[in-house]
Amino acid sequence: MKCTLWGTRGSLATPGPETARYGGNTSCVGVRGQDGAVLVLDAGTGIRGLGKTIDASVRRVDILLTHLHMDHIQGLGFFAPLYRRDVEIHIWGPVSSKVSLRERLMRYLSPPLFPVSLRELPCAITLHEVPCGDVDIGEFRVSSALVCHPGPTVGYRITGAQGSVMTYLPDHEPALGALKFPSLPRAWTSGGSLAASADLLIHDSQFTADEYPSHVGWGHSSLKDTLAFAALADVKHLVPFHHDPGHTDDDIDRLMNEAIAEAKPAYRVSPGREGATFQV
Amino acid sequence: MSTSKSIQLILARQLASCIATPILLVDDQNALVYYNEPAEAIIHQRFDETGEMTAAEWTARFAAVDDDRNPIPPDDRPMMRALAESCPVSQKLWLRSSNGEWRHVQITAFPLIGEKGQLFGAMSIFWAI
Repeated sequence: MKCTLWGTRGSLATPGPETARYGGNTSCVGVRGQDGAVLVLDAGTGIRGLGKTIDASVRRVDILLTHLHMDHIQGLGFFAPLYRRDVEIHIWGPVSSKVSLRERLMRYLSPPLFPVSLRELPCAITLHEVPCGDVDIGEFRVSSALVCHPGPTVGYRITGAQGSVMTYLPDHEPALGALKFPSLPRAWTSGGSLAASADLLIHDSQFTADEYPSHVGWGHSSLKDTLAFAALADVKHLVPFHHDPGHTDDDIDRLMNEAIAEAKPAYRVSPGREGATFQV
Repeated sequence: MSTSKSIQLILARQLASCIATPILLVDDQNALVYYNEPAEAIIHQRFDETGEMTAAEWTARFAAVDDDRNPIPPDDRPMMRALAESCPVSQKLWLRSSNGEWRHVQITAFPLIGEKGQLFGAMSIFWAI
């Protein structure tokens, strides 16, 4: 499978010269299968650019939302395939005990927040609530599970036709409540089974170790904890992702170098950069 | 029993490990998957030593009787009832700790029910009276 990062920023789109290298668009990752299957992981502002690359021959797109915080759905209304009559759009998102996925999405995709209502879109939309067990989408097997982040939030584990695995945990705080992280085995760690032995892990790394103590419970990880989580999960390649809007490109360079020098990971680390592509 | 745990159990364990109220945690199969340090003090057993225990193991290890000293069958214990009936259960009983000492305790057990009504386990708080 081929994974492309279309938005790597967390919380708020942050365009400008200081964020040009790692990118200012919010969370969105495109995954393409050898059979042409198209998965879109989250619908942050990066989804607009991804939408322009989907050609007329594509008849089905699956959008996998981790949760419905604004930075993960804000680009949805700007996804070009939504406005094509000949496309099936399947939107997968976390279940809530009180309000359906459709109703929660319509809070954004309706006036006054957005001029076009979900029901007015010409494409054929089907909504699916997750987690719902393993699902086959084209050549992909998709697993999902609730993870530690405020409100219903899932992570995804995607297995390709050749058995390769990529795991997507863009908003995740597995260290919540832990005096020392990690101190428990993988089975007792949020997201542990989703990330186990993944070939590629795209994971939240919003804060520095110094910033994290004043943001405990916000649902994000320090880069230090992300590196430790990747080691616990025994992944082969980590992509730190969901960069804090306050971190410039130079900040991210420095923070990554410092954290990697301290952790000395046994796996490859590629800081999430908009436009980067990974063959898994 | 070391299969991956649901986020509901993971967060329940995190909460239990951070507070001074004695807490037991079972999964949906009634296996005792965690108890915290304050609970260790009452049952005279360290979790690090026992690890997870099946329902048969932990109910045998920590026998329970009512105020008349009649044995309480495993299925009638608060944790089991909370799981089986999907409702909170409160009960006073005598619990035999690992050193053979009987402790009079008040227990309140409640089920952990997920978004779609799925049962993930149960949690009980208890203290000596």
